[in-house]
Amino acid sequence: MKDLINRFFGRAPKASKEDAKQRLKFLLIHDQVDLTPGQLDQMKAEIMEVIARYVEVEADENSEFKLEKGEGHVALVSSIPVRRVVQRAKAS
Amino acid sequence: MSECIVVTSGKGGVGKTTTTANIGVALALLGKKVVVVDADIGLRNLDVILGLENRIVYDLVHVVEGECRLKQALIRDKRAEGLFLLPAAQTRDKNAVTPDQMRELVQRLKENHDIILVDCPAGIEQGFKNAVAGADRAVIVTTPEVSAIRDADRIIGMVEAAELPEPQLIINRFRPKMVEAGDMMNKEDILEILAIPLLGVVPDHEDIIVSANRGIPVVFDESSLVGEAFRRVSRRITGETDVPELNLEEDTGMWSTLLRWMGLGPAREVAR
Repeated sequence: MKDLINRFFGRAPKASKEDAKQRLKFLLIHDQVDLTPGQLDQMKAEIMEVIARYVEVEADENSEFKLEKGEGHVALVSSIPVRRVVQRAKAS
Repeated sequence: MSECIVVTSGKGGVGKTTTTANIGVALALLGKKVVVVDADIGLRNLDVILGLENRIVYDLVHVVEGECRLKQALIRDKRAEGLFLLPAAQTRDKNAVTPDQMRELVQRLKENHDIILVDCPAGIEQGFKNAVAGADRAVIVTTPEVSAIRDADRIIGMVEAAELPEPQLIINRFRPKMVEAGDMMNKEDILEILAIPLLGVVPDHEDIIVSANRGIPVVFDESSLVGEAFRRVSRRITGETDVPELNLEEDTGMWSTLLRWMGLGPAREVAR
């Protein structure tokens, strides 16, 4: 009923088919490279540790780290906003 | 030229056995000499779906182990001229047969039949390898669900690895009303992801359960929409290219129901 009212007022809930499609595409990419989302998170955490030795990075929620389907291959795509260089001494 | 086609899906419960049974019957009704082979050793069910379970004496494993002649194990379906079933063993497991033995079995079946249709077990292990061994091509069954399509994608890869030509797809358990409401992936969504040619879409319908209860495949029912979907899929399997797409919206209005009940229903261009 709530759905119906929402629909009537043009506040249609997002069709669940879109969720299905997004989840499926995500799954298939991870299946293809045999890397689970959990492993990707782990990898991200480790890489972020290294990056943080050289530059100061923004909060986690602003960075992007994911697998994407390219032409005939899967690419690791990442965008990590950087604030400024950390003091050299810390890096070495 | 005889041909062996394996019906597979990866995931269980998507309707492989029902699909195999119905396509087998439909191909026989089209005049082909067909053997449906149950490769699901240990969990046979194709016999039950076809309603032939009471006539089994020998099975596939008996044939492979030389305990009976091939002809003795083939069960003739009296309702469809030219259709035979080779049942699986129920008390053995997938390792009772090797891919080489399956290849040889298929070769022997090809001598007297046009189409060998193999019902593949769920999974990607030995049972799958056996079922694919003698096949010339594969038909993939999936449903519009994330889990089924994911497994179909995996199986498509394995079919290619087995050096079979590009498989064809059947989308089963399709619900037009849910698609309309945006709560089910449509044909285009699925084809975009799996990227293989489509043989047809089969609607989800109570007829399937009734036909399974009775052991009478739904393609025998001339007035069934699901039956018609399987008939058209079967014609496309034989290479017919001009089979029109089926309108899946079932007319459930009182008038048309009454007409159909009286045997006067609007023809759905029933395939012969």
